Amino acid sequence: MTSTVIMPQLGETVAEGKILKWFKSIGDEIKEGEDLFEVETDKVTLEVQSIVSGRLDEIRIAEGIVAKVGDVVAIVGGEAVASNAVPADAASTTKAPVIATAPPRSPFEEVATPLDRFGSVRGPEGVRVTPLARRLIAQNGLQLGQLVAVAKLRGREKIREKDVRAALETRLAAPASEPVAVSPTAAAAAPLESAALPGDVVALSAVRSRTADRLAEAWRTIPHVFQAIEVDFTAIDGVRQTRKEAFRTSQGFALTFLPFIARATCLAIQAFPQINARFSNNALILSRDVNLGIAVDLSHKGLVVPVVRNAGDLTLVGLAKAMNRQIEKARSGTLTLDDLSGGTYSISNNGTFGTAFTAPIINAPQVAILSTDAIKLKPAVVSTAQGDFMAVRMIGMVGQSFDHRAFDGAYSAAFLSTLKRILEQRDWADELADYA
Amino acid sequence: MAELTYRDAVARGIAQEMERDNRVVFLGEDIAKAGGVFKATVGLYEKFGPLRVRDTPISEQAILGAAMGAAMTGLRPIAEIMFADFLAVCFDYVANEMSKMRYMTNGQLGCPLVIRTGNGGGVRFGAQHSQSIENWTMMIPGIKVVAPSSPVDVVGLMAAAVRDQDPVIFHEHKALYAMKGEVPDGEIVDTLGTAKILRAGSDCTIVALALMVSRALEAADRLQREHGIDAEVIDVRSLVPLDTRTILGSVAKTGRFFTVEENPRLCGWGAEIASIVADEAFWDLDGPVVRITTPHIPLPAADHLEDLALPSAARIVDRIRRVMNG
Amino acid sequence: MASGQGAAARLDVPRNDDIGIEQRLYLFRLQVEIRDCEKRAYDLFLQNLIKGTSHLSLGQEAIAAGFGVAMRKGDKSFCTYRGHAHTLARGAPMEGMLGELMLRDIGLMRGKGGSMHLTSVEHDVLGSYAIIGAHLPIACGSAWRAQYLGEKDVSVCFFGDGTTNIGAFHEALNFAAIWKLPVIFVCENNLYMEYTPIGDVTAVKHPAADRAASYGLERILIDGNDADVVLRTAQAALAKAREGGGPSLIECLTYRHSGHSRADPGKYRPPGELEEWMKRDPLLIYRQRLREFGVSDETIEAIEAESRRKVDVATAACKASPSAPVELLTTDVYADGGWAWRN
Repeated sequence: MTSTVIMPQLGETVAEGKILKWFKSIGDEIKEGEDLFEVETDKVTLEVQSIVSGRLDEIRIAEGIVAKVGDVVAIVGGEAVASNAVPADAASTTKAPVIATAPPRSPFEEVATPLDRFGSVRGPEGVRVTPLARRLIAQNGLQLGQLVAVAKLRGREKIREKDVRAALETRLAAPASEPVAVSPTAAAAAPLESAALPGDVVALSAVRSRTADRLAEAWRTIPHVFQAIEVDFTAIDGVRQTRKEAFRTSQGFALTFLPFIARATCLAIQAFPQINARFSNNALILSRDVNLGIAVDLSHKGLVVPVVRNAGDLTLVGLAKAMNRQIEKARSGTLTLDDLSGGTYSISNNGTFGTAFTAPIINAPQVAILSTDAIKLKPAVVSTAQGDFMAVRMIGMVGQSFDHRAFDGAYSAAFLSTLKRILEQRDWADELADYA
Repeated sequence: MAELTYRDAVARGIAQEMERDNRVVFLGEDIAKAGGVFKATVGLYEKFGPLRVRDTPISEQAILGAAMGAAMTGLRPIAEIMFADFLAVCFDYVANEMSKMRYMTNGQLGCPLVIRTGNGGGVRFGAQHSQSIENWTMMIPGIKVVAPSSPVDVVGLMAAAVRDQDPVIFHEHKALYAMKGEVPDGEIVDTLGTAKILRAGSDCTIVALALMVSRALEAADRLQREHGIDAEVIDVRSLVPLDTRTILGSVAKTGRFFTVEENPRLCGWGAEIASIVADEAFWDLDGPVVRITTPHIPLPAADHLEDLALPSAARIVDRIRRVMNG
Repeated sequence: MASGQGAAARLDVPRNDDIGIEQRLYLFRLQVEIRDCEKRAYDLFLQNLIKGTSHLSLGQEAIAAGFGVAMRKGDKSFCTYRGHAHTLARGAPMEGMLGELMLRDIGLMRGKGGSMHLTSVEHDVLGSYAIIGAHLPIACGSAWRAQYLGEKDVSVCFFGDGTTNIGAFHEALNFAAIWKLPVIFVCENNLYMEYTPIGDVTAVKHPAADRAASYGLERILIDGNDADVVLRTAQAALAKAREGGGPSLIECLTYRHSGHSRADPGKYRPPGELEEWMKRDPLLIYRQRLREFGVSDETIEAIEAESRRKVDVATAACKASPSAPVELLTTDVYADGGWAWRN
């Protein structure tokens, strides 16, 4: 009894995925529940388990190839399938070959145009690269610059499959066996993520590529306006310093400024609900819940924005725990599609590298995004009943990029002003009473 | 196993189906008592009698119309249109009637019939009796189209066509009627929508149909011996349904794609397949997608001119060699 | 087998047989319902509820009714795009027919075929055909099937005077004659080939009847507006075909009240012609016929009222019907129910 293995539904807006790796080979036995293949979508990478037991008879979609949700990617079988319904004894009948049919395409898209992009036919220095060569270069982590150099040396204007195959063999064989004047360090073609050299062409992974498209689209269609307000974090820092040991002991992770900012944001949104909205067809759809997206940088390999749902209902500690959970999942690559969807407002935290302020790109279809940067000691004027004094305070910029179609600068400024007030004046000690 | 000519295979395929199913009937011009102008239906009249194998007047519209009416009401007719060129005379039934009946009636009526017709050139019959018109029939939604290249395929695909519930146009090639081939004994039933890889290869994929298949094979042999190019040759056999999977799988392996088509250049059957390859298999291509076809001209009667027009093995070799080595 | 030439049996058209009051009432009811339904189609078109085109049979009801009563279950009708009357006459439901014209899901083909392709296999209406003459050879094929399998049904194709000049007409008649097929060719001569008087484009005066001899068939020319005449002629032809006597070609003289299609206001007709023919309206004739056979005005009015009621009920049902679901766009291209041409 054969079963088809299809590309599963990976999330509401995801239409396809790229198979990164098959964990089984043709002929292997698989058990139900075992990891069968790894798939990358524009949001996340996940393992897909087999839902049947049997023998892997056929792999239809190879590693590195994209398949649409619902496409047959493999066949798991037992016995050989019977041929078509032809009676008569085996000796004298010529059996007809079996035609396995793929799931039907859309009538408006009868040919499955590949969505992968491996680069243009026009390579550097006037050299042309065939589509197949482009794909092999990208999939094998080769560097086009090297191949171009080789081609030029040989007086050739084209890079074809055989040139790429040759380069692959060179890589497998001892380095510098190829009499080509390239630098020794570059001869051993390094993996794409690190040691990319100037002049190299770095192919974007599917995640980066899709993110790039979305960012460009957001930038192109949304009229971004950026505002920033200076916030005095001294009070928060005071609470943080006295509570952080107990917090870490109890919760197992550090208490940063971020949960405070997130909590204040949720409170401020209550007074400014248009901040927490979606823009659609000349209407602003206000969301009842605050599903807070926290931008997480994955060691410069990409950005994900996992969502903390119903953040408005959480206490400071609850928020801190939820956010930490999501960030851990992001860093360990275990986010699910649900973790990444449904966000209504986002926070981009850029403080790590000491920047003053950042104007982030709005995470469409949201209408605004908060940015926080470095919070550090700075000279400031403090007004007291006794007069105005210079003091050293923990100061940080909190900014917001907003969609000017959704509301005006005055609204955004008022929100930031409220946010600042909450951050500076709320009784944060009270929220951390358990950690005295 | 026996050696049969292509024309004998036609009679054998029809007889196999008429024996099996009483609803299979056969009509056409000079097909019964004369055994067909190409002698492709010899013996059927004697075997099945004048009620099942009927000669008609020269009335192509009546032949196809009657086949359609009979098919709609319970028979499984086979109709002959003597020369494929004559399909133009009764094309209303192909383009407007039998192809659309099922759709327009929301599935109430269908036309399970086979039109078999003498297609193709190379036999010096002149421009109106030598055309390859599989592409005319390929482009009508609702029609199925096959064109066998060998006697065994004739039998198997005829059986598949008769058993199919949709209208099938069965393009026999006039220049192949004398071709001999091995045909197993017993019942043979093939499957529509299946292409066959006749020669496995690794350097390029050549897709051909009917008469062009043997020329492609000959060209592949010479490409290997004389130029070290190892070509994979696919007999596409069925234009609708189309076995794109086999073709795309081959291109994924070889990276190069050629068609050899007897029809005149514009909108030949290979144009559609080339389009699918250039689209779906774009990242498998190591070079341009090339069609080798008859020029876009009517066919001349003069033998040396007609031979120049249709793709020859020599022209196929030359074109592929130049493109691959360029 | 006999070639069908020369010694064809004469059609016996009985003149004094009593048709019987039940059949007469049925004939009348059919004509009234066809008339009312077609008038409703006219109105719905003006309201833009019927789209595209529509070819009405107003004035030609007697032919459809006469054959509708004479044909029995299993006998097959093949019509042209002016097929609404024939579809109703074989018993197809009004809401199925009107619904198809309105391109709704309730239509006989769920809106996929439209006015010109009305089909109901259940009622033995094997298609309405928009390409002039195409269905004549198809009717021959159906008749061939009956002859071959020894089945006793007769195939009847209806067409207009314009059809008699197209190639398929001649091929079909010759074909039917030489194979002696159980098929009846009914020409509804309404005097106009679309917008042109048929006399201007035909070499003979009676486009069908005057050509019968070319195929060895009897010349049959009747008053197409008298349902009794049509019924008797139809019965005779059906009996002949069923007994193996071969095909008949029947020309029915009639007139259409409206234009060729909804788009045509019919202004090419000479003045007075329409009025003359309106005096020979099939419904006028048959009302009078019923009275001659002792049917009361109350009964007549009751039939007419019931017909109007049925048309109203059908119209309401059609208006309430949604359009076909979008999935139907690609169903039934092939026998597997789908549209796939590749794997």
